[in-house]
Amino acid sequence: VGRRVLITGVGSYLGGLLAARLEADDEVEAVVGLDTRRPKAELPRTELIDADIRDPGIRPLIEAARPDTVVHNKIVRQPGPGMSPRAMHDINVIGSLQFLAACEHVPSIEAIVIRGSAGIYGAEPNAPQFLTEDMTRLFPMRTRFQRDVAEIENYFETYSRRRPHVRCTMLRYQPAIGPDLDTQISRYLSQAACPTYLGFDPRIQLVHEEDALEALLAAIRTPVDGAVNVAGRGTVGLARMIRMAGRLSVPIAGPLFGPLTAAARRVGFGAYSEDFRRLLRYGRAVDVRRLEDEVGHRPRFSTVAAIEDWVARRRGAAAA
Amino acid sequence: VSEAPGLRSALEFMRRLRAGLEAGLELPEAVTGGAAALPRDARLTVERVLRRLEGDYAEDEWGYDEEFVELVEPFFGFLYDRWWRVQAEGVANVPAHGRAMLASNHAGILPWDATMIAVALLREHPLPRQPRFLVLDWAFDLPWVSVFMRRVGGVIASPYNALRLLEQDELVAVFPEGVKGSGKPYGERYRVQRFGRGGFVEVALRAGAPIVPVAVVGSEEIYPKLAELPPLARLVGAPFFPVTPTFPWLGPLGAIPLPSRWRIEFCEPIETASYGPGAAGDRAVVLELTERVRDAVQEAVYANLVKRGPAFV
Repeated sequence: VGRRVLITGVGSYLGGLLAARLEADDEVEAVVGLDTRRPKAELPRTELIDADIRDPGIRPLIEAARPDTVVHNKIVRQPGPGMSPRAMHDINVIGSLQFLAACEHVPSIEAIVIRGSAGIYGAEPNAPQFLTEDMTRLFPMRTRFQRDVAEIENYFETYSRRRPHVRCTMLRYQPAIGPDLDTQISRYLSQAACPTYLGFDPRIQLVHEEDALEALLAAIRTPVDGAVNVAGRGTVGLARMIRMAGRLSVPIAGPLFGPLTAAARRVGFGAYSEDFRRLLRYGRAVDVRRLEDEVGHRPRFSTVAAIEDWVARRRGAAAA
Repeated sequence: VSEAPGLRSALEFMRRLRAGLEAGLELPEAVTGGAAALPRDARLTVERVLRRLEGDYAEDEWGYDEEFVELVEPFFGFLYDRWWRVQAEGVANVPAHGRAMLASNHAGILPWDATMIAVALLREHPLPRQPRFLVLDWAFDLPWVSVFMRRVGGVIASPYNALRLLEQDELVAVFPEGVKGSGKPYGERYRVQRFGRGGFVEVALRAGAPIVPVAVVGSEEIYPKLAELPPLARLVGAPFFPVTPTFPWLGPLGAIPLPSRWRIEFCEPIETASYGPGAAGDRAVVLELTERVRDAVQEAVYANLVKRGPAFV
């Protein structure tokens, strides 16, 4: 008897890739995708459920799917076009709460894997230079997204305490980058000029989209209890990253950064969330030993390699 | 007369640069073309700066940038040779490879003593190695300072960072006096302050790294602190705001350190591995070792003060 995997947010880019990879795996008997959006890729073997995780009525649907592993992939990192920060908070917090409540009494579930965020650590000038999984409480929660992620983690901790036989793996992702992935970082690096904080050049750490996917697959294969950081090895200075992408840094004095980028937004430049602004000022890097040793995925791309790959494929696409 | 060739090649560089630009080359290419007229050293520097502008340089995972250190080395070398006329002793006591910790006395709000320790190791050690520094976290919230610190090997003074560096077999320099040391008034110079609660010893024990006591003499005369202005310190968020004979009266010029004569002594390493990592939790061992390191630093400071003689001549 093979594994039965349920994926929320299957309509996202990474969700679709994950479903496709699981379909190709002989050990997986069934893949069930749950989302309000249809996946872009063709997924012949995946059973799609068109439902919202915020809807309390999804419980019978989950029960009927009899999953042994649940992948919670419906956590929004930045509001897309036409999504308010409010709606994002709603999907992330209320969605996770309702979804967990629906999973509470499904007896078939043995493991839950969550695609969470390293945003929970925030970005602090005096943080240890490689944060390990137990360091979420070193600093106060400063931004809304940070508090939301903490709230989500809280729900899952409570859940795993109440149901000790279910393994709950909280994957804390650093910002992802990849040729086909649209993220805050890739949008930032696609602009002609990249605003930076005058006098600051923080260490940035990223994860390549391929490793982002492989880490999910590894966690489905070997779920572990608790949080696991997901990132490429090493870090890169922000200025160096911008130069590698062939862009221009535009240093802005700290107090003017918020107002100026907000004004630039009105004339069509990208928006920067508070988390992203703090990241541009102080940076953040995490320790990935738990991912390598316990979950068993060694990231193929270092942070620098991930950026090089992104730049090379961009150039390739532009030339073609 | 000796300046003439330098001037001539600089002019030739400008001429070629202009010719290149007029021929429709992009600026970086024109600069490379012009650089051919320069002496080898200057040409390499120009090429290196251009490469850096394209993001083509290496930083390690801590943000340490070896090439940047090489670029700024001449300035610190000048301070070492001419300004402070540093004499280093016992450099061979620093292990040539493997994990080790340097524990030094500390003075002055700008960490010149740390830079001179680094130059001493690069210049005088048979197998030169670049130490990493634990830096007061306040520095990492300052524009430019934070960038400079991380490029030359500074990390935030946190036990997690220190332990990770030692586990990677790096040489880690700590200043256990902390702000108590850098904020000493002039009258108390060379009285080594309490070494915190011995956090650095705990880390060294956990990693099994030997501790090399380091005494720096001369650094405590470069900024004779006469008084403090606590309200200004609060305003800029600094640990303290010093008043010296030149600062803040002369503005930025007040940050120029006085040219005292320096000595640096690296003492016999104090071995910690035999205690085992478990000893890190043993208060008695930690405090005793901390005191031993402090005593060694203080003793060496006094001995070197005598050897040095007058401070400025």
